[in-house]
Amino acid sequence: MPSPNSPLTGPLPLSKEKLRNIIALLSAYALCLYGLETLIPSPIPWLRLGLANIITLITISLYGFRAAMMVTLIRIFVGSIFRGTFLGPAFILSLGGGVFSTIVMGITWRFLGCFGPVGISLIGSYAHNLAQLFLAYILFIRRIEAVALIAPIILLLGTVTGTFNGMVCGILLRDLKSLGSSISFQGKAP
Amino acid sequence: MRLREIINLTTAADRVLLFFLIIATSFSFSFVRHVFPKGTEVEVKVDGRIAYRLPIDVDRIVSVKGPLGVTHIEIKNNKVRAIDAPCENKLCVRQGWIDRGSIICVPNRVIVSVTGGNSKKDGLDAITE
Repeated sequence: MPSPNSPLTGPLPLSKEKLRNIIALLSAYALCLYGLETLIPSPIPWLRLGLANIITLITISLYGFRAAMMVTLIRIFVGSIFRGTFLGPAFILSLGGGVFSTIVMGITWRFLGCFGPVGISLIGSYAHNLAQLFLAYILFIRRIEAVALIAPIILLLGTVTGTFNGMVCGILLRDLKSLGSSISFQGKAP
Repeated sequence: MRLREIINLTTAADRVLLFFLIIATSFSFSFVRHVFPKGTEVEVKVDGRIAYRLPIDVDRIVSVKGPLGVTHIEIKNNKVRAIDAPCENKLCVRQGWIDRGSIICVPNRVIVSVTGGNSKKDGLDAITE
């Protein structure tokens, strides 16, 4: 369980129907961020902000691992259909990275309570990048030196973006928490 | 949002992890450069098949056709780059000049690698079956 001083809280008690609505809403947020990110021209190749990861991490900490996996899968499938990369190489890399990083972040959140949002985001970023590099090697490149030479750049950029996303996530969670305690939600938890 | 507040949101483990990862990735740059030295040959692969094998010290421009269209590759001053590619994101073009490793265009299935040279030493001398 997360430690008491960690801003990450446990899953909120919710009805099945409400959880479904929330997953839809969060998926929409993730898709928005994903779409926004593809519009931003990046000066360095391989620099992906991974803004959708913020939503994944928030979903894990508020609604649990299964909801987060659902949000990630919806984001990747629908996002790739929008971008026209569905079932293409970019889709496979995106799916592998997204699913693996969500699993790793879920495990970290559940069993390693010492990490806050920044730590979990960093771990997720590394999981994402390593899974993508591994998949790219296995499926497309088959040249270990090619993967090895770009790996440090990708991982270093991932460290920067992972830290940034984790901080955004930490701020969001803190504010959501204070919002939750100051405004009493209507209706009782089932 | 003040910086102090943001730092307060991180746990000690977060900070240790961040510090460790920055150190590790920084070291991996020099580690990788050490393990994979410069090559002497440029190998252009399209869809897994070798299209060209050229010496890196002879300047020239070659064009290869992939599933999406033609990728132009330039060799100059012992370096190689992709000049133009038909793909969407043009990562290969933006990667610029390389003298080791590879330029990979996944959409157009083109791989330009710098091979040979010192790295041959660590390779296999022969394979028997």
